Amino acid sequence: MSKFNADQKRWLISQAELEAWLDGISNARTLIAPRRVSGILLYRPVENSRAIACHNQSSGSIHTERPVLSVKEFFFPPTERLFAINKTGQEIYLEETFPDWETVIFGVRPCDAHGVELLDALFLDTNPVDIFYARRRRNTTLIGLACREIGPACFCTSVGGAPDDAHSVDIMLYETHGDYLVESMTEKGRFLIPGGEWKETTDRHQKSAYAGQFSVPDNGKWPEHFKDDYWTKISERCLSCRACAYICPTCRCFAVRDELVKKGEFERIRCWDSCAGENYRRVAGGHKPRSEKGERLRNRFYCKFYYYPEQYGLGTDSACTGCGRCIEVCPAGVDITEVLMDLEKPE
Amino acid sequence: MYQPRLIAFLCSWCSYTGADTAGIARIKSPANIRVVRVPCSGRVSPELVMRAFDQGADGVLVLGCHIGECHYDTGNHRAAKRLPILRSLLSFAGLEPERLRLDWVSASEGERFSKIAEEFTGIVRALGPVHWRINSSAGHTSNQILIAADEEIPFPETDCTAKTNSIRIKARELLASGQVGCVIGYEVSHRGRTRPVFVYSPEQAERLVWNPDCTNNLTTYLPAKLRSVKGKEPSKPIAVVVKPCDSKAINVMVAENLYKRDQVYALGVACDGIRSADGNMQTHCVTCQESVPIVCDALISGDTSSHIQRLSSYNGKEIVALQAAPPAERMEFWLEQFDRCIRCYACRQACPLCNCPECLYERDESTFIGLGIRLTEKRTFHLGRAYHLAGRCVGCNECERACPMNIPISLLNQRLADEIESAFDFRAGLAVAPSPIVTILSGEYREG
Amino acid sequence: MNQNPMIPSLGKLLEVRDLATDIKLFRIKMLDGGSKAFHTFQPGQFAFVSAFGLGEAPFGIANTSGRGPVIDFAIARLGSVTTALHELGEGDIVGVRGPLGNWFPMKKFIGKNILVLGGGIGGAPLRPVIQYVLDHRSDYGRLTILWAARRPDLLVFTDEYKEWCAAPDTSLHLTVDTADENWKHESGLITQLLEKMSPSPDNTVTITCGPPIMIHFVTKMLQEKMGFAEKDNYVTLEARMHCGLGKCGRCNLGEKLVCVDGPVFNMEEVGELLETFL
Repeated sequence: MSKFNADQKRWLISQAELEAWLDGISNARTLIAPRRVSGILLYRPVENSRAIACHNQSSGSIHTERPVLSVKEFFFPPTERLFAINKTGQEIYLEETFPDWETVIFGVRPCDAHGVELLDALFLDTNPVDIFYARRRRNTTLIGLACREIGPACFCTSVGGAPDDAHSVDIMLYETHGDYLVESMTEKGRFLIPGGEWKETTDRHQKSAYAGQFSVPDNGKWPEHFKDDYWTKISERCLSCRACAYICPTCRCFAVRDELVKKGEFERIRCWDSCAGENYRRVAGGHKPRSEKGERLRNRFYCKFYYYPEQYGLGTDSACTGCGRCIEVCPAGVDITEVLMDLEKPE
Repeated sequence: MYQPRLIAFLCSWCSYTGADTAGIARIKSPANIRVVRVPCSGRVSPELVMRAFDQGADGVLVLGCHIGECHYDTGNHRAAKRLPILRSLLSFAGLEPERLRLDWVSASEGERFSKIAEEFTGIVRALGPVHWRINSSAGHTSNQILIAADEEIPFPETDCTAKTNSIRIKARELLASGQVGCVIGYEVSHRGRTRPVFVYSPEQAERLVWNPDCTNNLTTYLPAKLRSVKGKEPSKPIAVVVKPCDSKAINVMVAENLYKRDQVYALGVACDGIRSADGNMQTHCVTCQESVPIVCDALISGDTSSHIQRLSSYNGKEIVALQAAPPAERMEFWLEQFDRCIRCYACRQACPLCNCPECLYERDESTFIGLGIRLTEKRTFHLGRAYHLAGRCVGCNECERACPMNIPISLLNQRLADEIESAFDFRAGLAVAPSPIVTILSGEYREG
Repeated sequence: MNQNPMIPSLGKLLEVRDLATDIKLFRIKMLDGGSKAFHTFQPGQFAFVSAFGLGEAPFGIANTSGRGPVIDFAIARLGSVTTALHELGEGDIVGVRGPLGNWFPMKKFIGKNILVLGGGIGGAPLRPVIQYVLDHRSDYGRLTILWAARRPDLLVFTDEYKEWCAAPDTSLHLTVDTADENWKHESGLITQLLEKMSPSPDNTVTITCGPPIMIHFVTKMLQEKMGFAEKDNYVTLEARMHCGLGKCGRCNLGEKLVCVDGPVFNMEEVGELLETFL
């Protein structure tokens, strides 16, 4: 989806220019950006640039630079209609429904953009192509915003990312002394940049050398730990809710359901689900594989670092973006970094 | 003229026959009423009523036998106790209370049926079309209700070493003597986060701590850990570190036969309040009046001189503000809150009293709530869950603390706790007693 | 419509008849548009059948396309979708989405002896294998069928036994866990029957389908007691599925997905992962 242009142009723009640009975009398309909603940051549609809030004000807040939910919901929404079913007597008629509007998402943090790239591997690069995801992806432009610092729960640098990674976005912004350095990364991005109005610059963003905090076990290491007692032990505090999976930029499990709309009309929808739920794998006869919490938590970690990469051809990369949301959101203190570090310890 | 669409739940034995009587005697009744026949008015659960409103009913009428005449003896008692509670909950969420009515009609009272039907239709017509049903196209603007922030009390420095030591000593003692098989307490993780820990041997007791961030309600782990498994030996008693609010949950769980009182050893901590993420005291701690746990086998008291000043009375500013606003604004407020919900069920899983083997709102074959993550379903889930906790919720506030989206769900629980207290003079968890209203299949229906 | 693999094609029920207690055979003919997708399907593949308004569920296709152009499903009444399907009759419309998954490598089996072990409703995805072998009889060696169920009234395809036994070099062995007075054949678990027969692994492949616990014990016995190599033991697995296309992640068997990497596996691929299904 994103190819680096060899003759990348760069611009230096002021806050005012940024706001004017975003206001212009919001007139022609749906503009989505981080907004403060009841004390938390969320990517939400905004009517103009004044509603945008890219940073958390209170320093004591446990939520850092990035919004609580990732941008996953704009490509893979919590609930999506697949098709409508009209059923009167013996007649059945199916009607496809597709999303079809232009969207621009501003303020996408590198971890979230990386998450989209990882979902592309599943929904776009593996046959059959998921038409709903593909439509939304095609109609959406991502404008990234580099993070100023690494948050307390963040570990993107340990999974191959960085707070200023420009991969997977169409346009990248770096905050620099009150102004913004703008890089267009793709054709789609270039299309949004206003013609000659902005001041071009030869400045480049100095990529800081961020060190990884710890190393992630590579694919080969996971099978040998499958039967360890460890998984039962660390899962004791897990509550089997689904908060971690739903706020994760790459978790993609979904359920498919038929639901009643009104008499004679049904719809088949898909909605988020998670392997952490107790009844996730229950079959009609009542048998429930993975009925133990430890099995479910193990599956979640394995999927993130071994199954998903194997299944969808990620090579040596994991499907984790290191955003740290799961750590902050877990009501019971399950910590993915703890698991990763424990696995790397020599036994 | 606008004709309201009304659903009437009529019981087979009395009111349905009463309606029939009206028809046979050719007494005129409004045609707006669609009848749903139920065996007993006690059968009318909140899910049925909410489903009717979710699907666009302008009003719901429930008619049962007169008190004392129920075919099932006490079925109508059940309706009499719980439907008003449901009505107060729906009203809190923005539905005019006049739209839900409970009344009594006997088999021979055709006239009475007609009169009630006429009256109810008139009242609902005067209220106008209902706005409860959500149209997917409707946007939600910011709520107009100004909620006064509760006074913020910054959490002062406290020295918890004494309590930490007491907990460790007691835990070691209990584990070494074999009196308990496990101690559930708090530890601090490698990144400084206070969280639950399960300790199985005296050596591991070193991990236990007490500090102002001990927010989890640890009793939520008890039902699963103490569940008797066929073929397996019953597990040894479990010790659990509890705060005053947490300990009340034990009383409710024992009343509901989830486990026996002697299977739990309560390490009760005299609590000075818990710190929230922003460094202030948690709102429900600010007004907590209980500093010593009710259910307590060993008291961990520490240094009482550091007792922190709290508000002397429960003020419930947010609830007062909501109650004072017009229903339409209340509804908008709650829709905006539920809009953020992602149905992650963190609230439900963190709650000690939510422990149905299969949640009613998550069943594959549910007929009254979809599984989609959409506004109608989200509202029904939260209101339904609050209703199921009426008379059972002990106010530990873990549901709201666990919510990743900052939804003030415990306002619903607080509102219902107030309602139950004024209707039944009952507060959950102060003694081993089940909820005064039947909300879930519990108590006498669970295996001992 | 068929561009989107999440949308089923419509099929008409030609026949619905009882196979066993609470198990029915559904014979479906695709309505226009869908028949192309189902023109050929291989033994071992599955498809989703929709009871519109209630949902859809995956079922093994119970016949070969050589015996088409109909599609057979043997469906047990267990949950809401299957109950709704059981209430349908001839002429009713259902949705069918597929064919999905991989299939038994029948070409690889040419010249070999085939041992088929079916437990209960697990016999349904094995029927196309039997039909295929019978339709290409000279390509294969001895065909041995072990057919089991908990009770006699739960055995499936009883009216086809005659056809199977009539074929050259083909034998059928029945066993039930709990017999009744009329039962004339073996009783006991399928593993007991298998042990009694003690088949030789020489030039033989096995195909097993049934409850996970049965697959576990049967393959264990074949490998440990009778010396079959893991790679010669084939199984077809089932798991709860929602998309069937490898997207929703529900049916994973370790890093494999039952809907795209299966449902047909050989035990060398599955190995210990089968335990996660138990």
